[in-house]
Amino acid sequence: METTTEYGDARECLLAARQRMREVKRLLSQPSAEAADESAALLRDVEIQLGCVAVFLRQTGSKPDSEFRSNLEELQDEVAVLARFFAEADKLFAGWLYAVCSRRGGYTNRGQAAPLVLVKKLSVEG
Amino acid sequence: MGSLFSALTAAGQSLQAFEQAINVTQNNVTNANSPGYAEQVPQLISQPFQDGTGLAGGVQEQTQDTRDSYADTAVQQQLSLQGMYQQLQTTLAPLQNVFDVSSSSPIPSALSQLFQSFSTWATQPDNTDYQSAVIDAAQQTATAFQQAASQLGAIQDNTTNDIQSTVTQINQDAGTIASLNAQIAQDPTPDAGLSAQLENTLENLSGLANIQTIAGIGGQVTVLLGGQTPLVIGSQVNAIQSGNNTASNSGNPGAAPTISIFDSSGDDITSQITSGSLAGLLSVRDTLLPTLIGGGQQVGGLNTLAQGLADTINNTLAAGSTTDASPYQPGAPLFTYNSSAPSGIASSLAVSSTITGDQLAAASPGPPFSANGTALALAGLDSSSPGPVDGQGFTQYFGSLTATVGNAVNNANTSATAQSQLVAQAQSLQQQVSGVSLDEEAVRLVQLQSSYQAASKVVTVIDQMMQSLMDEIPT
Repeated sequence: METTTEYGDARECLLAARQRMREVKRLLSQPSAEAADESAALLRDVEIQLGCVAVFLRQTGSKPDSEFRSNLEELQDEVAVLARFFAEADKLFAGWLYAVCSRRGGYTNRGQAAPLVLVKKLSVEG
Repeated sequence: MGSLFSALTAAGQSLQAFEQAINVTQNNVTNANSPGYAEQVPQLISQPFQDGTGLAGGVQEQTQDTRDSYADTAVQQQLSLQGMYQQLQTTLAPLQNVFDVSSSSPIPSALSQLFQSFSTWATQPDNTDYQSAVIDAAQQTATAFQQAASQLGAIQDNTTNDIQSTVTQINQDAGTIASLNAQIAQDPTPDAGLSAQLENTLENLSGLANIQTIAGIGGQVTVLLGGQTPLVIGSQVNAIQSGNNTASNSGNPGAAPTISIFDSSGDDITSQITSGSLAGLLSVRDTLLPTLIGGGQQVGGLNTLAQGLADTINNTLAAGSTTDASPYQPGAPLFTYNSSAPSGIASSLAVSSTITGDQLAAASPGPPFSANGTALALAGLDSSSPGPVDGQGFTQYFGSLTATVGNAVNNANTSATAQSQLVAQAQSLQQQVSGVSLDEEAVRLVQLQSSYQAASKVVTVIDQMMQSLMDEIPT
C-alpha cells in the first residue's frame, strides 16, 4: 500500500515532474533571463518531485511496473536533452559575449576580449 | 538672397533625406519575414550651416545595416550542427529495423528456432522429422542473414547517393553565392535585398556542411569549407566532388570502399567536413556501416557473426559422428559461405545444397560415446561460456550490434532535439541584436548566461537523481 502525502503517490510525483519539465522546455524556447529564472524554479520543483518518488519507492518497497519505468526513462531522456542544451547554450553565450566585449573595448595584451566596464550615467539637472 | 537660396537648398535636401528614411522603413516592413533580411536603420545627420560658404545645413540620411556578423556566424554554426544531427536521425532510422532484439526480429527469431531444433533433435537423433526441422531452421537462419545483409547494402547505397546529392546541393549554393558576389561587385551600393539573399543562401549551405565566411569589399563573402578549402572566392566557385577512396579497401576484397570528398584540385578534404548533413552522411557511410556490414578494412559485425555461426556449427558436426559404432563417420557441414570475400559472408551464407538429414552427426564418439552428444553440444552453443564469437554467444553478439546502433540513434535523437532549441536561441538572439547598444547587449548576455548557469546546475542535480533512481529500479 502506497503512502499518500501532499504530492500524492510516486506515480503522481513522476507525472508532476514531467509536466514541469514540459513547461521548462516551453519557457526555454525564447532566450530571456526571466524565462531562465522561472525555469530554474520549475527545475527545483522537479528535483523535489523526484526526491519524493525515491522516498515513496524506498518506504513502500513496491516494484514499479513497466509503464512507470518507461515514464522515468522518458524523463531521463528529457533531462539529457536539457543538460546538453544548457552546455551548448553556455558556449553560445560565452562566444557571443566575447564578440560583444571585444567590439566594445577591444582586446587585452593577451589577445583576450577586453573586460566589460560599465560606467554609471550621471544626470545633472538645473 | 544668399541665405534664402541656402535655406531652400537645405529644405530640399532635408525632404529627400526624410523621403529616403521613409523608404527604408517601408522596406523593413515589407521584408519583415524575408529569410536572411536584417533591419536597415535610417539615420538623420544634421549638416553644418555657414552662410556664404556653401554649407547649407539641413539633414542628410544614411542607412545603417544592423546585420551582426557574429550573430550570423553563430546561427550558421548552430544550423550546421543541427543539419548533422537531423541527418543522422534520418539515416540511422532504417538501421533499427535490421538490428532489433525483439523476438519477432528475423535474426534473433531464426537463431532461437535453430537452437530449439537442435534441442528437439537431441531427444530422438534418428527421427527424420526432427532432422528435417534442423535443416529448415538452418535455412531460415541463412535467409535472415541474407536479408539483413541486403537491407544494409541498400542503406549503404542510399547513403552514397545522398552524399552525392548533398555535394551537388553544396555546389549549387556556392554558385548562387558567387552570382550574388558578382552582382555586389558590379554595384557596390549597399543593397539589403542582396544581403538577405546572401545570408539565406549561407544559412542553407551551413545546414549542408561546416563553412566559414570572410566578409569582403561591399558585402561580398569568401566561403571556406572546413575553414581551409576555398569554396567561393568572389564570383569564382571551386566545386567539390565525392568519390570512392579506392585505397581504403585494399586487403579486404569485396568490401565497399569508403567515400571521400575531394576539392577542385582533387585533394581529399573529407577530414575537414565536421558538421552539416554531409558530415552526418559520411559518419554513417564510412564509420558506422563498415562496423556492421564491412567496408574499408573492416569485415563488419554481421559477417563476423555469420562466419562464427557457420564455422562453429560445421566444426561441431565434423567432430561428431553419423554412426553409433566404429568406424565413426564425421558429419557433413550444414552451412556454406563464400570465404574469399570476408565482407560478403552474411550475404552468401546458405545451407549446403547436398546435405540430407542422415548426414547430420548427432553422436559424439567421446570417449565416452554418446548417441546424442553432438546434438546436445549444438543445442548449448548459444549459451556456452566463453561464447564462440569474440567470447559472446550468437544472440548476445547480435545484441551488442543492436546496442551499437541503438546508442547511435539515441545520441542522434538527443542531440537533434537539443540542437533545434539552440538554433531557435541563436536565431532569436540574432533578431534581438538590431537597435541594441553594445553595452546593453553585453549586460543582457551576462544576465542571461548567469540565469542559464543557475538552471543548468539544477539539471545536473536532477540528472544524478535520475541515475540513482534508475539504478534502484529493477528492469
